Amino acid sequence: MARTRREFLKDAAMLAAGLGLGSAPVPRLALALEGLAAQRPGLVWLQGQSCSGCSVSLLNGERPGPAELLTRYFSVWFHPTLSAATGDEALAAVERAVNAGGYLLAVEGAVPLGMPRACTVGQEPLVDLVSRAAARARAVLAVGTCASFGGIPAAATNPTGAAPMGEILAKAGLSVPHLNVPGCPAHPHWIVGTAVLVLHKNDVTVDKEHRPTAFFGRPVHDQCPHFARYERQEFARTPGEDGCLFKLGCQGALTHADCPWRGWNGGTSWCVRGRAPCTGCARPGFARDPAYPFFRLNEGRTA
Amino acid sequence: MTREEDHAMATIVLDPVTRIEGHLRVETRWDGPRLAEARVAGEMFRGFEAILRGRDALDAPVITQRICGVCPVSHAVASCRALEQALGIRVPPNGRLLRSLVLGANFLQSHLLHFYHLSILDFVDVAAVLEADSSNSAVRALQAWVEAEVRSNRVLPAAPFLPQWPAGLPPEARWAGRALGHYLKALEVRQAAHRMAARFGGRVPHTATLVPGGATAGVDPLAVEGFRSELASVRGFVEEVYLPDALELAARFPRLADQGVGPDQYLTFGAFEEADGRLWLPAGVWTGDRLDPLDPGRITEETAHSRYRGADRARPLAGETEPAPEKPGAYSWLKAPRYEGRPVEVGPLARLRVAAASGLPEVKEAGERWLAPAGLRLSDLSGVTGRHLARALEAWMLIRRMETWLDRLDLAGPTVGPYEPTASGEGAGLVEAPRGALGHWVRVRDLRIETYQCIVPSTWNFSPRDGRGRPGPVEAALEGLEPPQGEPRGLAVARVVRSFDPCIACAVH
Repeated sequence: MARTRREFLKDAAMLAAGLGLGSAPVPRLALALEGLAAQRPGLVWLQGQSCSGCSVSLLNGERPGPAELLTRYFSVWFHPTLSAATGDEALAAVERAVNAGGYLLAVEGAVPLGMPRACTVGQEPLVDLVSRAAARARAVLAVGTCASFGGIPAAATNPTGAAPMGEILAKAGLSVPHLNVPGCPAHPHWIVGTAVLVLHKNDVTVDKEHRPTAFFGRPVHDQCPHFARYERQEFARTPGEDGCLFKLGCQGALTHADCPWRGWNGGTSWCVRGRAPCTGCARPGFARDPAYPFFRLNEGRTA
Repeated sequence: MTREEDHAMATIVLDPVTRIEGHLRVETRWDGPRLAEARVAGEMFRGFEAILRGRDALDAPVITQRICGVCPVSHAVASCRALEQALGIRVPPNGRLLRSLVLGANFLQSHLLHFYHLSILDFVDVAAVLEADSSNSAVRALQAWVEAEVRSNRVLPAAPFLPQWPAGLPPEARWAGRALGHYLKALEVRQAAHRMAARFGGRVPHTATLVPGGATAGVDPLAVEGFRSELASVRGFVEEVYLPDALELAARFPRLADQGVGPDQYLTFGAFEEADGRLWLPAGVWTGDRLDPLDPGRITEETAHSRYRGADRARPLAGETEPAPEKPGAYSWLKAPRYEGRPVEVGPLARLRVAAASGLPEVKEAGERWLAPAGLRLSDLSGVTGRHLARALEAWMLIRRMETWLDRLDLAGPTVGPYEPTASGEGAGLVEAPRGALGHWVRVRDLRIETYQCIVPSTWNFSPRDGRGRPGPVEAALEGLEPPQGEPRGLAVARVVRSFDPCIACAVH
């Protein structure tokens, strides 16, 4: 569908908002979006040990919204939650996509390496399906903390041997460009923005965790509106109390994400604005270590 | 989707069932034109209950929300309520109301998602939109898009809307234009419902503010008024679009009214706390013609055909979740919950049945305003189109109740109670998710989780057979299905399956 330069600029401005970099990257992003719209690359989305929360989050994107993503920017060859095709027709769509190759592969959820039966599609273990699909992809996006780092399925005792996409790609010996877009769930702008950057001349700077620095470059704590209160040691001591949430267990200092600038659900709110500590949901170690609880309210209450 | 369809004993398998939450396989055997036997299988396992064991008690609401990205709020509320009971934590009236508002907003987004984005493509011929004579600019843009797509040499033109079922969809332009136009509009309205949930939940999916004791968000008057104005816009859509569409679906597909009827035994845990702690939607068990009070002591879970070792037929807190992926005779990662040993249907239809029998005034009003003009009665709702209608009616009733909860918020009162826990205890958090009755059971020792078990709505509905070989509710609803000549059998099966709004990540967890 036709789209004007002005509309690309608006979408680019939304994606850039929160980078803390001013408006400098906007024209570059607009150009990338225009290129994307001209080309409408194939998108193949597969789900593993996921809760579909990242898919739901993607539907929460505004500018570009889901209708634009489906009809203007991507050709959504397959998405388990959206595709009309069911059963054998759905498997055939995936096969047609894999045969054609050259698509962006998005994987949501972890992959049960230790128990292949714990996730199958058409009775094919997911580990086989994602490996086949990754081999023919232009780039692989691990969407959400489960696909990026293992997340909750990989938390102790990791009953299914759940593994992140990086491990699957390494095991399959694939060198396809791979980006992690963590978050539980991932923010829609992080998903779309990363896709746009990687598809536009692979123009994306990543850190050692394969995260695009544009979204995950700085800790939440450094950008937090409560930062001054932290410095003044004005801490909330009980749930719901006003103040810096550090003493309640906030993990903003360890978590790289731009939530304080970007906000969630169209900028409506975010965890800390709701007086809830950051649970570190975009952190590589999110939920993995039982010795590291989300709240510190039980410290010292038992022997 | 169709294998050996010409043979007398055909087998038709749907795997994956798309446009649902999660990994679902449906295997059906046909005796001539009639579906003789159905087996539904959940195909993904993570092991939440094992992961929770030994963790800090307050980790539970954070972790269990991640069981499901479509109904995380229900899990948060169930988990908080279970811990409040186990640890003796009090909730102030504002905390209850905020919880009900966030839960309600998430019900609305879930029902809209289910009707428009997950289900409607089973009732609409997408290509027919090209013939639609619409003045709606979104529909015209969609027409231009579909036209360009089907002419293009793309790998999968007009994906994800095409390919569709090869037959059996009404080639009616006006209906296609209307339904697909509403599909697009509903993408925006669903977001508005989620913005409402985020105002008091911090964000969604996976809220941040719901903790044992209430909600941390506070009652900011701006948030209250923002919530109210978005609720009004969602109400407009539900009254002008969603309910009329659900009624039109029932009118266009009269045959589907009594297709896919479940075991005629309905269960609900009740949900939505009022300021004083009572529940707006009542709990109960409806069996054919009788309403009984809910007795959670009669709930058991069976594992005869489930991929788990351990005790068959256990009460929730005695349940174990030891995976046995290659167990002989097992065909699903779901367990089989039973009430008094019987399979029961849960979900909007169950809530509506029990609420009607309990005399909830909103149900009577909803029936008079929406069903009577269409010549329908509440008791007519039982099959595929009935479930869709029950969901739409519930959305309408819920919105009106949410308006009263907003009015009852005390701007000066606390939203979360003091955290003064006992160190050990047991609790059950019973609530409703959009898909039906949700229970979390927890035993805490020294503020750590000793045992945690969840029985989730789709565990009830999509359960496999139990030790006595009795099929689960969806299996029972499928058996006996007899689609007319020319309708793909897979389509008939999918319509029944999707009418239950499956959430398989939830069901297995």
